[in-house]
Amino acid sequence: MTQPDTPIVVSRGLLKAYGSVVALDRLDLEVPPGAIGLLGPNGAGKSTLIKLLLGLIKPTEGVASVLGLDIASEGVQIRQRTGYMPESDCLPGDVTAADFVGHMAQMSGLPARAARLRAAEVLYHCGVDEERYRLIKEFSTGMKQRVKLAQAIVHDPALVFLDEPTNGMDPAGREEMLELINRIHREVGITVLLSSHILEDVERVCDYVLLLDQGRLVQHGTVSSLLAGGGDILVEIDGDRAAFAEALAARGAVVTTQDGVLAVRHTEDQVFDLVRDTAADLDVALRGLRVRSQSLEDVYVQQVAAASGGNDGVERAG
Amino acid sequence: MSSVPGDAGSAPAAGPYGEIFDRGYQHYQGRREGRAHAVRALTLYSMRRALGVKKRWTAKIIPIFLYAAAFVPVVTIIGVRALVTQVSAQLAEGFNYSFLAAAISPLLLIYAAAAAPEMLCDDRRENVLPLYFSRAITRVDYLLAKVLALGLLMGSIAIVPLLVLFVGNTLLADAPLTYLRQHPGDIGRILITGTLLSVYYAAIGLVIAAFTARKGVAAALYIGFITIETGVVEALSLAVSGAWKDYLDLFSLGNVPDRIVQWLLGPASGAGSAPVGAPLQGWTYLFTVAAVVTVCGVVMHRRYLAEE
Repeated sequence: MTQPDTPIVVSRGLLKAYGSVVALDRLDLEVPPGAIGLLGPNGAGKSTLIKLLLGLIKPTEGVASVLGLDIASEGVQIRQRTGYMPESDCLPGDVTAADFVGHMAQMSGLPARAARLRAAEVLYHCGVDEERYRLIKEFSTGMKQRVKLAQAIVHDPALVFLDEPTNGMDPAGREEMLELINRIHREVGITVLLSSHILEDVERVCDYVLLLDQGRLVQHGTVSSLLAGGGDILVEIDGDRAAFAEALAARGAVVTTQDGVLAVRHTEDQVFDLVRDTAADLDVALRGLRVRSQSLEDVYVQQVAAASGGNDGVERAG
Repeated sequence: MSSVPGDAGSAPAAGPYGEIFDRGYQHYQGRREGRAHAVRALTLYSMRRALGVKKRWTAKIIPIFLYAAAFVPVVTIIGVRALVTQVSAQLAEGFNYSFLAAAISPLLLIYAAAAAPEMLCDDRRENVLPLYFSRAITRVDYLLAKVLALGLLMGSIAIVPLLVLFVGNTLLADAPLTYLRQHPGDIGRILITGTLLSVYYAAIGLVIAAFTARKGVAAALYIGFITIETGVVEALSLAVSGAWKDYLDLFSLGNVPDRIVQWLLGPASGAGSAPVGAPLQGWTYLFTVAAVVTVCGVVMHRRYLAEE
C-alpha cells in the first residue's frame, strides 16, 4: 500500500472558484497516510476538496497530487487507486448487493469472475453476508451504508474517501461502522479520508485532522498534537482562592474561575508542580486536582470561531 | 465479540465436516483492466437491465413483446413459404426487406422510448452517477457505454429480423448459391440500414432521457416529440410553396427512417433516384441522421459534464 512517510495528498495554492464564489481558497496541504479526518461546517469546502482530489473537477488555480498523481491530468489513474463512499443515498434499489458491488468492481477494472468473488469477500467483511442476495431496497439504512462502504473498497484501493459514513445510523450501527473503518485503516492498511461533522467519530477513528472553514484550511495536524496542551487542571483548595489564583498567575500560569473552581491551563506537565509549590508556599490545602482534557470539539469551536472573526471581503461558499 | 466479521484472531470453528477459517481481508493481487473493460462492463450491465434481466416480471413485458413483434412475422412467413411452396414467390415479393424494415420502424420508436430511459433515468433518480464518476472512467466513457448498450439492443431488432429473412430467402431459393451470387450487397445494405436507424432512434431517445429522472416522462416526451414535430413539419410543407419546400422533408424526424429504408432497401432505390414518397434524393437524408446524432451527442456531453 502507501509508504508510511510519503504524503498521500500534496497541494500548493489549490483554489477552486465558481464565478465570484470561492469554494476553496489557496490550500497548501501535505497529508500523511493513515486515517485523516476532514472537518468543517456546511459549505466549508469539504465536498469540493474531495471532488478535486478525485479529479472530477479542475482547480481554478494551484496544483495538487494524490498518491503522486496530478489531479488535473491524471484523474482516471487516481480513481483507479481510490474509492469513494458518498454521503447521499446512491444505491439502485432493484439490484442485489452482490450484483451491484460486483458490477462496481468490474467498473474498477476487475475481470468478471474476480469481481464476483471479490464482491462476496468484501461484503462479508463489511458485515453483509447472506443478505447480499437480497435486493438493496429491502435493506435498512445501516446495511445500505455497509454496501456503500463495500463498493468503495471492493477494488482494493490505496485511499478511500468516506463522506459522512455514519449518517442516519443508529448507535449500534454507528459503532460497527466505526469499527469497520478502523479495521480498514489499521489492519488492511488502506488510507482513509473521513469527512464528517460528528467530531466524536473523527476523534475515535482518525490520527490526523484537516479543519476547513469558508474554503480555508484553518487547522491541521495529528489529533494528539491538536489536543495536547489545550486542557485545564481543575484545582479545589481550602483557603483564599483569590490569593491563590493571583499567586499562580504571578508565576506564569493562566488561571480562570469556573463554577467556583480554579481552572489552570494545562500547557505542560510542570503546571502540576507549580500548583503544588504555590499551595505549599501559601500554606493552602489542596482538596482536589483533576484534569479536564480538551476535545476535538473544543478545538473545532475555537478554530472556527477564530477563523470566522476575520473577513477579507471575498465572497465564499457557505 | 464484534458483530463485524473477519476480526483478527477469529478461531477456526471445528465441526463434523471440517474447519472454517476466517482468512481476514485479502488484498487483490489479480489482473486489472483499463477503461475499455469498464465501458464493456457498463454496456452489458445496462443491456441486461433494459431487458429486465434479474428484475420483476413486469420489467420484461415490453422487451418480450417487442422481440415477439419483430421476429414472429418473419419466422412465420419463412415457415409458410417453406411449407406451402405454391405461395412462396408471391410472399417473397410482398414480404421483402423494405416492407419488413418499414414494419419494424415503429417498433424501434417504441423500443427507444422504453429502453433509453432505462439507460439513463434510473442512474440519475437513484443518484448512482457519483459512484460511476468516481470509478476510472470519464463521462464520455459513461455515455459511450450507454449509447453502445441502446444501439446494440436497437440493432438486435433493426438488423437481426432482416438477416433472418435473408437467410430464409437464401435457403428457400431454388439455387441458394446462385441466390447469394445474385444478391451480394443485401447483407451490407441490411447492416447499414439497421445501424443508421438504431443510432438515429437511440440518439434522440437518450438525449431526451438525459434531461429527466422519470422514465415515464422520458418515454412520453420522446414519442410526443417525434410525433408532434413530424406533424408540424408536414403541415408546414403543405402550407408553404417554393423550391425550398422540399427541404422541409429533411426536418421531418418521423419520416427520415422511412426515407432511409426506402433509399437503401426499397425497390425504387438507385443512384440518382429519390426514395418512394420522398421529394429529395436518398443520400440527403444521411445528413439529417448525421446532424441529429451529432447534435444529440454534443447536448448529452454538455449535460453530463455539468453533472456533479
